[in-house]
Amino acid sequence: MPSVISVFQRLQQAEDTARPPHAWLGALGGVALLALSVLFIWGGIELGVGSPRRLGTGAFPVLTGIALALLSLAVIVMDLRDTSDAERPDWLAFAAIGAALMVFASSVERIGLAPGVFLTVIIASLPDPSLPWRGKLLLGGIVALGCWGLFIGALGLPFDAFKGF
Amino acid sequence: MEIIAGFSHGLMVALQPENLLYCFIGVTLGTFIGVLPGIGSMAAIAMILPLTFYLEPTSALVMIAGVYYGAEYGGSIASILMNIPGTPSSSITCIDGYPMARQGRAGVALFASAIASFGGGMIGMVVMAVLAPVLAQLALNFGPTEYFAVILLGLVAASAVSNGSPVKGVAMVVAGLMLGTIGVDITTGAERFTMGIPELRDGVSLVIVAMGLFGVGELIVSIKANASGAHQNRIDYAQFYPTRAEWKAMVAPILRGGGIGSFFGALPGTGQTVASAVAYAVEKKLSPARARFGQGAVEGVAVPESANNSATQTAFIPTLTLGVPGSASMALVIGALMIHGIVPGPRLLVDHSDLFWGLVASFLIGNILLLILNIPLIGLWVRLLQIPYKYLYPTIIVLICVGVYSINNNVFDVWLTLAFGWAGYLMRLFRFEPAPLLIGFVLGPMMEEQLRRAMLLSRGDAGVFLTRPISGVLIVLTVVLLVWSILSALRAKRRVRAAMRSAE
Amino acid sequence: MSFRAATALTLAAALMGSTALAEPGAWSDEPVRIVVTFPPGGTSDLIARILAQYFESEFGQRAVVDNRPGAGGTVAADYVAQQDPDGTTLILGNNAPFTIAPTQFDSLPYDPMAGFTHIAYLGASTPALYVQPTMGIATLDDFIAYANENGITYGSSGVGSITHILGQAVDSALGIEQIHVPYQGSAPAIQDFRAGVLESYYDMLAQNRDLINDGETLPLALAAPARSPLFPQIPTFRELGYDVVIENWTGLSGPAGMDPETVQTIHDTVEAIMAMQPVVDQLAQWGITHTAMTSEEFTGFVGGTIETWRPLILSANVNGG
Repeated sequence: MPSVISVFQRLQQAEDTARPPHAWLGALGGVALLALSVLFIWGGIELGVGSPRRLGTGAFPVLTGIALALLSLAVIVMDLRDTSDAERPDWLAFAAIGAALMVFASSVERIGLAPGVFLTVIIASLPDPSLPWRGKLLLGGIVALGCWGLFIGALGLPFDAFKGF
Repeated sequence: MEIIAGFSHGLMVALQPENLLYCFIGVTLGTFIGVLPGIGSMAAIAMILPLTFYLEPTSALVMIAGVYYGAEYGGSIASILMNIPGTPSSSITCIDGYPMARQGRAGVALFASAIASFGGGMIGMVVMAVLAPVLAQLALNFGPTEYFAVILLGLVAASAVSNGSPVKGVAMVVAGLMLGTIGVDITTGAERFTMGIPELRDGVSLVIVAMGLFGVGELIVSIKANASGAHQNRIDYAQFYPTRAEWKAMVAPILRGGGIGSFFGALPGTGQTVASAVAYAVEKKLSPARARFGQGAVEGVAVPESANNSATQTAFIPTLTLGVPGSASMALVIGALMIHGIVPGPRLLVDHSDLFWGLVASFLIGNILLLILNIPLIGLWVRLLQIPYKYLYPTIIVLICVGVYSINNNVFDVWLTLAFGWAGYLMRLFRFEPAPLLIGFVLGPMMEEQLRRAMLLSRGDAGVFLTRPISGVLIVLTVVLLVWSILSALRAKRRVRAAMRSAE
Repeated sequence: MSFRAATALTLAAALMGSTALAEPGAWSDEPVRIVVTFPPGGTSDLIARILAQYFESEFGQRAVVDNRPGAGGTVAADYVAQQDPDGTTLILGNNAPFTIAPTQFDSLPYDPMAGFTHIAYLGASTPALYVQPTMGIATLDDFIAYANENGITYGSSGVGSITHILGQAVDSALGIEQIHVPYQGSAPAIQDFRAGVLESYYDMLAQNRDLINDGETLPLALAAPARSPLFPQIPTFRELGYDVVIENWTGLSGPAGMDPETVQTIHDTVEAIMAMQPVVDQLAQWGITHTAMTSEEFTGFVGGTIETWRPLILSANVNGG
């Protein structure tokens, strides 16, 4: 695990040194929107647009898709003219937060809320080097206990605290 | 006179010790539940529902209502402190609340939010006391065509919420409309873009979109920003009392927000999120401080908070008088009444006037209790920012996970939140704002549903939108607003160009 | 066993007569999860909460309500089918996941019969046909005449919902063609009806009590086998010569492969609760009629509804995936 993190950290440093202008990154956003709208137009046509008298299932996706496609073209043009500095992406945090949600989603119904929360906290805290391992474990334990008390004890939500132990 | 007599009678009911106690329990629980991201008033109401089986119906209703508007108070706290809305409807509060916190004015923002919520709540209460029968009648006159027209107006307003590029703002609204089509088409029953996943048949939950785009997306951004301790800069803990100028600046936005909120609250379905967005958009056009919106304007905190709180009070009008719940929480209110054999409907005001007036009076008491509860807590909340972020953010991530999971007790919702969270982060990189998307997402499905229903009922005649008086007026209003904002945008652009040319 | 539980036992035993005698009471040390296919607040959710409450207070069986709404109850049914059949996970089932979904969806992740142990029937509520009182329609014959002449719109609580299926059943039995306008739940349909834009709708009887008494809506016929004690003056479709019986049923089921003794205990406990006076009164208020059925009878009932509703669902043309 630590080696994976160091790879990410090195990647991060590489990203930080080179900062392209916003233009290409921004245009990428417009392209992604365009792709999404094309997907909905295509899917909408498959579903059938019906007639003006009796609108079909696909009519609304197609209409909004066309509107979004036009708007995203405008966005691409605008962003290409933008010369300000791009934001620095933080891919380490992106990956760690994503992984934390994945861990929660795959663990909570298998091993229960408390251990699931413990693991989630550990994974989420990975990108922050200022918190030592002992601190991460301790934080995980405290939050797990807190969630158990709050959600199961106080709020009475129908979760299992531990499962399969 | 009848209203004053009713209200004073209601006050007596609401001031009975046990009702006072349940009101207090309700608003306290609501506030703390509202702070937790993802766990909304619905979870809290569902939790106390079995308890209400044993209570007098009025006590039960007073407590449930307390949770409901208490959660609106609490929802803004996380928005202001961490840019993570506690409830979807406080998403709009993030726009100016969070910048205020970054400037070290978190205390002022929280105070403004509490005062505005109180003001909005009072406006909602007065509207409910005076206009309940009229608004119920109005809601009854709202058929599909009228709803469609109102939603159209809301959408045009929503495009103005964005503080960045207007084109990107409109693009986000449209993207929200488009994403809203995911799920079963309620007019034909056919599945759209569900990829065979049963959980997607009912569409994506608003809480998931809000928690993903705002909550998770924001967390990814803020980890690095806060590693250097950026979020705890220059906080003046003692300073949470607004200046005279700020007080004065808040009055008009609170009144306008409260008015707009009352209207949208009374229409079942549109709800607090739309109310706060529309109020914010209107304020951005009218306020003398409009240039500072998005950069920490106290008016920008006051207006959505006033609107969503007045909407929570008036949301009881259609629920009680028509039996039409505008939201899942309101459906629970109906459930709590059904347990006691009270059927919400036009006769409730007459047959159970105790209940109605007791509830209205409890709004006054509950909102005062909330103020008493929240103002001393401001210091405590602001101190939360002192906790190093390395402890705070893993905790928040867990709260979001549990909150989202608790909506349907389904882990699929957590996976979906992940997808929206990543999308939210990428949107920030590409400089798109999530707020307009959220509004489009709320309104899109309603707009399509009403449009197609109107066409079915009119048997294919689109003319009904203009020939029915209310919808006709609303549509003309929308077109005027649209043309006006396009013209003023063009004029502003021309002025900027001219200024640039003269500068060269 | 508490004194109250003992009384309930005697009551239940007296009530059931012929059924094999098991002892109502707790069947698991673990809390039982009653999965509800709707979000909190509806009648179904309230029934589950009443059951949970009585399981605990009268029989010492801890129970929690677990709302897993989504995709017409199929998300909840799929979840329950996959749980251990130890009696700790039960589903408050209804027509949506068990009667309609098997025909509506080509691929269902669970088998409504083989995938479950159907334990106890709780009851059914009665839907009716309502028209605008101002349209000059007073009887079902007037309705047919009007529909044939002008066409008529009706509101349902959704595509593939029980009221939509009922609309279809009425179409084929009466030989008319109504224009279906789906809503999300019956409350918004009634709102449009009262706004005057909708000509008729189908909905449960109890929820419309006030509107009927105020003369704002006119019920023409019930889709039940017999008249309702709530409004004995309203005839049934059957009396009027049209075989339309579509009832909104609710029952308790668990995953397949449950131990017969546990099934019997749960069944008897439920029957004992259904016989308690406060519960009887509460259900009557919501217009729900309980009939005692053994677990075998209930299983047969569920299978029967799938078969009898199939042609109606097919003719409704609700194309699910």
